[in-house]
Amino acid sequence: MIKATQLRKEFPLSRQQRKELNTTDTIATAVADISFDCQPGQIFSLLGPNGAGKTTTLRMLATLIKPTSGQIEINGIDAIQHPQEARKHIGFLTGSTGLYARLTPIEIIDYYADLYQVQSKQREERKKYLFDLLNMHDFLHKRIGKLSTGMKQKVSICRTMIHDPSVVIFDEPTSGLDVITAENIIKLIRDCKDQGKTVIFSSHIMSEVDLLCDELAIVHRGQLKFLDSMITFRERMKANNLTEEFIRIVQAPITTP
Amino acid sequence: MIFRIFRKELLDTLRDRRTLMTMLVIPILVFPITLNVFVEISKSYEESASKETMKIGIVGDKNQYYTAQLQQIPESVGPKKIRVFQDSAALRKALDQDQIQLGLLVPTQAAIQRKNQTPVNLSWLLDASEVGRSERSELYSSYFKAKAEFQRLHELGLSPDQIKPLSIQTINCASEKKMVGQIAGGFLPYIFIAFGFIGCMYPAIDLFTGEKERGTIETLLTVPVSRWKILMGKMLVVVCSGMVAATCALLGLFVSIEFLDLADNKELLEVIHSILTPYFILSMFALLLPLVIFFAGLMIPIAIYAKSFKEAQSIITPLNILVVLPAMVGFFPGIALDFQTVFIPVVNVVLATKALIAGTLSWAYFLAVFALMCTLALLAISLSYRQFGKESNILN
Repeated sequence: MIKATQLRKEFPLSRQQRKELNTTDTIATAVADISFDCQPGQIFSLLGPNGAGKTTTLRMLATLIKPTSGQIEINGIDAIQHPQEARKHIGFLTGSTGLYARLTPIEIIDYYADLYQVQSKQREERKKYLFDLLNMHDFLHKRIGKLSTGMKQKVSICRTMIHDPSVVIFDEPTSGLDVITAENIIKLIRDCKDQGKTVIFSSHIMSEVDLLCDELAIVHRGQLKFLDSMITFRERMKANNLTEEFIRIVQAPITTP
Repeated sequence: MIFRIFRKELLDTLRDRRTLMTMLVIPILVFPITLNVFVEISKSYEESASKETMKIGIVGDKNQYYTAQLQQIPESVGPKKIRVFQDSAALRKALDQDQIQLGLLVPTQAAIQRKNQTPVNLSWLLDASEVGRSERSELYSSYFKAKAEFQRLHELGLSPDQIKPLSIQTINCASEKKMVGQIAGGFLPYIFIAFGFIGCMYPAIDLFTGEKERGTIETLLTVPVSRWKILMGKMLVVVCSGMVAATCALLGLFVSIEFLDLADNKELLEVIHSILTPYFILSMFALLLPLVIFFAGLMIPIAIYAKSFKEAQSIITPLNILVVLPAMVGFFPGIALDFQTVFIPVVNVVLATKALIAGTLSWAYFLAVFALMCTLALLAISLSYRQFGKESNILN
């Protein structure tokens, strides 16, 4: 499970950035004290427009960057104090994830299996399972640079799942992908849920969220605008459809306690 | 885990044609090709110049005294044709139009001067920018001089020894090894340093900036391996590449000298062989290794900071000049390793290698240079680690 408490991330602004943003502030708050829990066997979705703070939040959860303040627990491990221990439980995939073009899929998978210290027996089982599931056998020994986008995405998924993580973080995983490749990702997210994994994914596409998620958090300008189940979201809906409701919530004035 | 990262990065690097070119192909081939081409071109120029028929114009040689001498000079010196001119203006014009290649001005009083046993001043007119002309005129001059001196001594009834009341010799007490060290010692460290730097450059950019550009850095940094281990694995590849490039360059130079018949001086070859002992090679690598780590440690923070391959290249390339310029200090005579130069990075390695070749490097200086370079290498690693840990640098 994932437990985020009062998570905050501030970035210093350079003179150039201050000029571009037309502000005198020396600090930009990307995420402002947000808290949420993601339970195993559930899909938690972070929804928000571009620049809302979704990627920053997920990067903090994946231990890529440290929060300015707040706490993160991954399966009960303090991810800020013990990031390496927490990483063993995490699989992280983004839509912009790249691969080493000069290596083959099998070389990449073996490399990451080594980095995650996956034992040889478990590794062979996982490789067989994932290669069968994703139908990767035909291009395992071809260089990544010669693969199609869909094939590359399959390799990325395989790399993310090789150590059988119990927490899976997807940052806009379908962004820029064609329909068939995006469908593979959606299937993977569902599979993860069925296997009892904790799944968190970010998106700015309401239809995708509607299709998958159990719990929903809407973020805008680093702040939580909505946090509840998808069922509750639908029940409380004031607009005609989900997308309009999302826009309505995002555009609502920020209420200060 | 460091070794696993190193293995993967090495495999990735070895599959990059650009890196392979700078790490292996160019260093190995640059000296055999360039030296061979250079030697062949200069040989062919010399040959063609010696075979070229020189048209020589003469002015003022009334009784054809020097014309006859010129004709007596054997053809083995080079073929020639002689043409007599009425005045120096006509001769100069012919020279300008390349109708003749050499012009000889004989003073009008030459016969009287010879009779009076006073010096005769002959002048050669030539275009010195053309290959072989100065050399040919000097050859002819030496014939004239020898003939004139012999004749004058004969007239005076003197033997050559009688006009040499004093003979002074200079005896060079330096060993041949030391002489080679002094003359060629600057070249070897220059090659080592220049190629060590170039060898580090592309892998450093590819393994750090490239990782950001490709979007692979995010996934790499979410594995349960500490960042310093990731940095070390990558840095090892950069250092290896620099060392391999430097070694290949030296190997190429050695092959050129040994097998391409570029140094046909047997004594020189023997001296080179006596220098290339296992002790020398080990000592040189001991000096080079911390230097290459230092280079890698300078390049990696730049590569981490840069957002694109182009940006990294545009910052690191000028750095190359900063490194290569001090490496040229070995070419200047008189600069040696002392209490001041030992503290100047790059310069100290150049001068230490030069002294090592000459066999004059003391242990104290060797250890001082080694210790200083190791300290700088550690500082550079620490700088790389600090940059690699910065969130703003690792994520675009």
